[in-house]
Amino acid sequence: MKSVVTTVIAAADSAGRFPTTSDLESVQGSIQRAAARLEAAEKLSANLDNVAREAYEACIKKYPYLNNPGEANSTDTFKAKCLRDIKHYLRLIQYCLVVGGTGPLDEWGIAGQREVYRALGLPTAPYVAALTFARNRGCAPRDMSAQALTEYNALLDYAINSLS
Amino acid sequence: MLDAFSRAVVSADASTSVVSDIAALRNFVASGNRRLDAVNAIASNASCMVSDAVAGMICENQGLIQAGGNCYPNRRMAACLRDAEIILRYVTYALLAGDSSVLDDRCLNGLKETYAALGVPTTSAIRAVQIMKAQAVAHIQDNPSEKFAGAKLRKMNPILVEDRCASLVAEACSYFDRVIAALS
Repeated sequence: MKSVVTTVIAAADSAGRFPTTSDLESVQGSIQRAAARLEAAEKLSANLDNVAREAYEACIKKYPYLNNPGEANSTDTFKAKCLRDIKHYLRLIQYCLVVGGTGPLDEWGIAGQREVYRALGLPTAPYVAALTFARNRGCAPRDMSAQALTEYNALLDYAINSLS
Repeated sequence: MLDAFSRAVVSADASTSVVSDIAALRNFVASGNRRLDAVNAIASNASCMVSDAVAGMICENQGLIQAGGNCYPNRRMAACLRDAEIILRYVTYALLAGDSSVLDDRCLNGLKETYAALGVPTTSAIRAVQIMKAQAVAHIQDNPSEKFAGAKLRKMNPILVEDRCASLVAEACSYFDRVIAALS
């Protein structure tokens, strides 16, 4: 999976050379930025269920038609699946925070996303509403430090963009 | 190819849970400079390490450079030096990534079968890897001993950390041991 370290190693390997000083410098750069990312990942994993629940409720409130018979949030099974999907996105965002790139979202979330939602007849607007709620809900320094929140919001923006 | 971070993500994804062991990754970040110094110590001394390891292997088994030996003539000796450098390079990559996947996928996968097909004696190859392991430990610890250096002993650097990067030494050893296990 792509990260700063694996990219550097892949480049060094294709040239058949040992890691150079500049390779090590670029790895060090990513390591220095890692503290904020890991903080955001830690805070998100501790509160993932609550964040997902709030985002889910916000999107159902915005699109109440989803509760009508036959719609995506009409039965208990459907409700659980909707909440699970939001959790799924937040988990992938946590992975991206850990890795320091958008690799997990790209590979496990976005690839094929449009086709799946089309095949299942699901609207993407409620997902956007849920993630946008989470995007605007985070607050520094109440939830996490400002730098950590920036990293977290950037990934939410990335996921929202992929859906809209 | 994975690094310490993506390894944590892949194993968390296998159980659809979030990455919970953030402390281990914080530890990786906190000791990041030590790791880079260790990688730099090996990379800067690579050609010396490789030629010494192969020379040591041959000293212990002179038959290798006699007619019919596997390091005779120069062409095969050169191939031997090249292979030792390749193995050391992938160990260095693994140490930089903090994960052995690059070593496993790109170097060790099929290495034993290749050597069997080419008639390379694995016992000699393992001996060279063992010597490189000892050299890597010495370079990471940066602790030259009076016993071996004698009058040539030079203590170039001040002691930076008291434990002399014990955990990194153990990690580097584990990668060399992986090579040895793959060949034996």
